[in-house]
Amino acid sequence: MGTSPIRRGWRWGLRGVALLLLAGIYLALERGGSAYLQRLAVLFLINLMLVVSLNLFTGFTGVFSLGHVGFMALGAYTSAILTLPIAMKKVNLPDLPAPLASTTLPFLPALILGGFTAAAVALLIGIPILRLSGHFVAVATLGFLIITRVVLINAEAFTRGTRTFTGVPPFTTLGWAALWALLNLYIAWRLKHSSLGLQVRAARDDPWGARGVGVSIARVRLIAFGISAFFTGIAGGLWAHFLTAFSPNAFYFSKTFEIIVMMIVGGMGSVTGSVLGTLLVMASTELLRNMEPGFAIGSFTFGPLYGLSQIGLAVLLILLITFRRQGLLGDQELRLEAIPERVERWLAQRKVVLESPRVRKADP
Amino acid sequence: MRPLHRLVALFLVFLLGAAACQPATPPPAATPTAPPAASPTPAGTLEERAPIRIGAPFNLTGGMASIDVPAANGARLAAEEINAAGGVLGRPIELLIRDTKTDPATAATVVTQLIEQDKVVAVIGFNDSDYVLAAGPICQRAGIPFITVGATSPRLPGQVGDMLFLTPFGDNVQAAVGAEFAFEKFGKTAYLLWDKGAEYTTVLAKYFKERFAELGGTIVLEDTYQSGDKDFSAQIAKVKALPQQPDFYYISALPDDVGTIVKQFRNAGITGPIVGGDGYDTPLLLEVAGPAAENVFFTTHSLLTADSPNEKVRKFVEAYKQKYGTEPEAVFAALGYDTVYVLAEAIRRAGSTDGQAIKQALESIRDFPAATGVINYSPQSHIPQKGVTVIEVKGGKFTLAVERVPQKVPAP
Repeated sequence: MGTSPIRRGWRWGLRGVALLLLAGIYLALERGGSAYLQRLAVLFLINLMLVVSLNLFTGFTGVFSLGHVGFMALGAYTSAILTLPIAMKKVNLPDLPAPLASTTLPFLPALILGGFTAAAVALLIGIPILRLSGHFVAVATLGFLIITRVVLINAEAFTRGTRTFTGVPPFTTLGWAALWALLNLYIAWRLKHSSLGLQVRAARDDPWGARGVGVSIARVRLIAFGISAFFTGIAGGLWAHFLTAFSPNAFYFSKTFEIIVMMIVGGMGSVTGSVLGTLLVMASTELLRNMEPGFAIGSFTFGPLYGLSQIGLAVLLILLITFRRQGLLGDQELRLEAIPERVERWLAQRKVVLESPRVRKADP
Repeated sequence: MRPLHRLVALFLVFLLGAAACQPATPPPAATPTAPPAASPTPAGTLEERAPIRIGAPFNLTGGMASIDVPAANGARLAAEEINAAGGVLGRPIELLIRDTKTDPATAATVVTQLIEQDKVVAVIGFNDSDYVLAAGPICQRAGIPFITVGATSPRLPGQVGDMLFLTPFGDNVQAAVGAEFAFEKFGKTAYLLWDKGAEYTTVLAKYFKERFAELGGTIVLEDTYQSGDKDFSAQIAKVKALPQQPDFYYISALPDDVGTIVKQFRNAGITGPIVGGDGYDTPLLLEVAGPAAENVFFTTHSLLTADSPNEKVRKFVEAYKQKYGTEPEAVFAALGYDTVYVLAEAIRRAGSTDGQAIKQALESIRDFPAATGVINYSPQSHIPQKGVTVIEVKGGKFTLAVERVPQKVPAP
C-alpha cells in the first residue's frame, strides 16, 4: 500500500525499539526484585488478557457479553483441579471422580485444557445465544454467568462449593503471563484485520449489507465467541495459579464490571485501546489506593480516605462518558507506523515552507 | 483533532503509569523512620523512636465492611492504648490499616506491599477465610506472623502454615458448644437449615451435625438456602409439614440474613428455640426481627455490654464508646482489640521484632486475659482454646445464657 522504503525502514526500527523497551521493562521487573511491582505487572497482564478477549468479541461484533467472567471461572477451576497435587486432592476434594483424582497435569497442558473447556462451553451456548441480537445477547450471557455460579457452588465434588478452593500451585510467573498476553494481543490484532474480523465488523456496522454479500453472521460471531472464550479461560487459569486460593464469589458481578470498565475506557473494538484502558484504570486505582491511608500536599495532610480509589474510578468514568463516549481510542488503533507518517508529514510541511521563498524569489 | 486527542490520552496514561511507580517511596505517614532504635533504652520521647510497624489489612469497603470496619476500629483503639501506656520494647506501635475492598486479589497485593515496602514485622486482619487464604501464604513465605482477627475456619493453619494464628475459636468449637448446649437444654431432635452460599455457614452446619449425631441426637429435616434469599416460605412449608415439630431449630446463617429468617419462621407460627452461631451477633437480629427474636440462642465470642462481669469487656466497651461515640457494632471489634494486645504481648516476650521470635513467643502464650475470653496458644495449636459464650435473646436484649468449653470437638 504505497509505503516508501524509507518508511518501511522507520517501521522496522520503531518495532525494534518497542521490542527492546518491552524486554527492558520485563527484565527490570524480573530482576528488580520488587515483589509488589511484579504482582501488579502480572495482574495487569491477566486483566489485559481478559479485556482484550472481551473486546475481541464485544468490540468487534458489537454484541455485548456480560458472561465472560463465567469463562474465566471455567478456565480457573479446570486448570486448578487438573494441577492440584494428588495428596492435596485427597484432603480438599475427597469426592473427585476416579480419573481426575489420581492424575496431576503439568501447568501448560492444564492451562490449555482450561482454555478449551471455556471455548467448548462457549461454542455450545453460542449456538442458541448468538441467534439473538443486541441487548438480548447481553441478558442471555448474564444468564450464563449466573448459571455458571450456581453450578460451581453445587458441583461440590469438583469445586468445594462455596468454600475456598486452596492449595493451587503458584505456577503463574511474570514470564508466563507476558507470553500469553502477547500471544493474545497478537491474535486479536491479526483477527481484527483478517477476513473473519472484517466479516464480524461488517455484520456489526450493517447486518443487512453483510448478509447481502454472503456473510453468515451467526457463524462468524460464533467463531469470535469461541476464540474470545478460549483466551478468557487461559486468563482465568493464570489468575487461579497466581492467587492460589479463590471461591465462586471471585467470578461474579464485580469482576465483570471491572473488565467492562477497562474495555470502555480503552475503547470498544480497539486492541491497543484495551492496553491503554487496562493500564489507565489499574494505574489510577492503584495510585489512589496508595493515597487512601493519608497523604500530604505541602503542609496540609489529608486523613485516611478509604474508598478513594472507587470514587476516583467512578469520576474517571463519568468524565470519560461525558467528553469521550467512544473511550480513549474508539475502535481506532495506535500504530507504530503513525509516528513515521506524522514525522514525514511534518518534514514535508517544513520542506514546503523552506522551499517556498526560493520559489517566490525566482518568480518576478 | 482526533490524532491530537489520542496523543493526549497516551500522555495521560504514561503520566499515570509513571505516578503509579512512585509510591515505592516510604508511605506518607508523618512518623519519622530514620533512626533504628536497637538498644533497650533508646533516647528521646516515645514518639521520636522508630515505631514497630504492624500491617492491618481489612475490607473497609464492600460486602465485608459491616464487620471489618468495627474490627479495624477495635485494633486501632488497642494500638492507641498500648502507645499511651509506653508502647512495646520502648517503641510505639504503628498500625498500618489498609483497605482491601472485599477483593482477594487486592488483599494479596496489599499484604505484599506491606511486607516489602512498609517493612511490617507482623500482619493482623480479615474476618473471612477467602482473604486469609489469599494473603496468608505471602506472609508465610516472607516469614512474617499473621494473626487473623475473625476468620473462624479451623482448617486455616493447616492450609496456610505455621506463621498463621487465629484470635477467635474455630467453627468446630462453637458448633460443638451449640450442639451440646441445645442437646442438654432442648432435646434430641433438631431441624437443620444452612446457607449454601458461604464457607462459614457450610462448615458450621457440618460440624454441628457431626457433634449432634455423636451425642445421640437426630436431625429430622435438613434444608438449605442461598445467602441473600429473601423468601423462606418453601423451607418453612417443609417444616410445618413435619408430623412432629423438633425440639429446636439450628439455623446456620450470615449476619445479613439472620433477622429475615428468624422473623419469617416466627410469623409462620414456629415458636420453638432457634439456635445459631456467631453470625447472629449483629444488631440486625434485633432490628429486623424485633420481638420475633425472643427465644433465639447463639454461640459467640463474648457478650459486649457495659455491665459485663468481665472487667476486660467493661473497659473495652467504655473505651470504644468514648473514642467512636457508639457501642461496639459487632463482636469483631473486640476481636480486633484482642488481636493487637496478644501481638504486643508476644513482641514484648520475644524482646525483638524478628518474625520467628514473635511466632515462638505467640506459641508460648498461656491464659492471656482478653475481652473475648482467655487465649492459649501452643506449638501444636495456633487456634486458641477459648470458652464459648452462649447468648439468649430475652426481653429484646442479648443476655448471657452460659459460658462453656465443649466436651469434645469435631476434627477440623
